[in-house]
Amino acid sequence: MPVRRQLGSRFESTDTDVVLVEDLHREFGAPLLRHVRKAIGNDLQWAEDVVQETLVRAWRNAGRLQREPGLLWAWLLTVARRIVIDGRRRRGTRPQEVEPADANAVPVPDGADRALEAMIVAEALRELSPEHREVIEQTYLRDRTINEAAEILGIPPGTVKSRLYYGIRALRKVLKERGVAS
Amino acid sequence: MFSSPHHDVAAYALGVLDEEDHEAFQRHLMTCEECQIELRELCEVPGFLDGLRRDRSNSMDDGRMSH
Ligand SMILES: [Zn+2]
Repeated sequence: MPVRRQLGSRFESTDTDVVLVEDLHREFGAPLLRHVRKAIGNDLQWAEDVVQETLVRAWRNAGRLQREPGLLWAWLLTVARRIVIDGRRRRGTRPQEVEPADANAVPVPDGADRALEAMIVAEALRELSPEHREVIEQTYLRDRTINEAAEILGIPPGTVKSRLYYGIRALRKVLKERGVAS
Repeated sequence: MFSSPHHDVAAYALGVLDEEDHEAFQRHLMTCEECQIELRELCEVPGFLDGLRRDRSNSMDDGRMSH
């Protein structure tokens, strides 16, 4: 595959690598950090590590991702989320235990906006069918994989995936109607 | 319910695919325009759920939704 060869040759030139990751950092670093911090709370050091790791992985795939506008950003968000979930599982910590130690130390999104948004999202979830709500709760909201959730729910993994697919699409639709999601 | 490879896009966006499926879908994504479009549409949704999870930490410690 030509892209792979191209990336392979880039691998050897360390200076170029650094520049490319820095380019990605300049363009996506700040918005990505905001998203990551929303997912993990106030551990700024960890958040920055996640962003850095995400950008390095992105650089490795950049050749394939950049053809499609907007895909790179979507992919960055997804990869960052995956790194957060892996880290959380390794640490055995759950987001419930993350508490702001010092609210003044770093800027965080406005608490009132956040509470309002959470309320709207909770309401949106309640509008979904019980099956759709259940798979969202049993996977993402509990840091469980598809297979783990399938076992707990006693249904095939493929069914969890399908329900999750229709459930997440339904959730997005409701959030759009409420003017929350774009 | 029938599950197509394209359906993995939601689980992928949420980061909850098991390792093997995650890798497989990533390869699929690079060649499937349909899934690329869907990933762009769905990629912000997990962020909204993050807000909910933090909110829940204050009110319900068993993580269950009230109905
Ligand atoms: Zn596809």
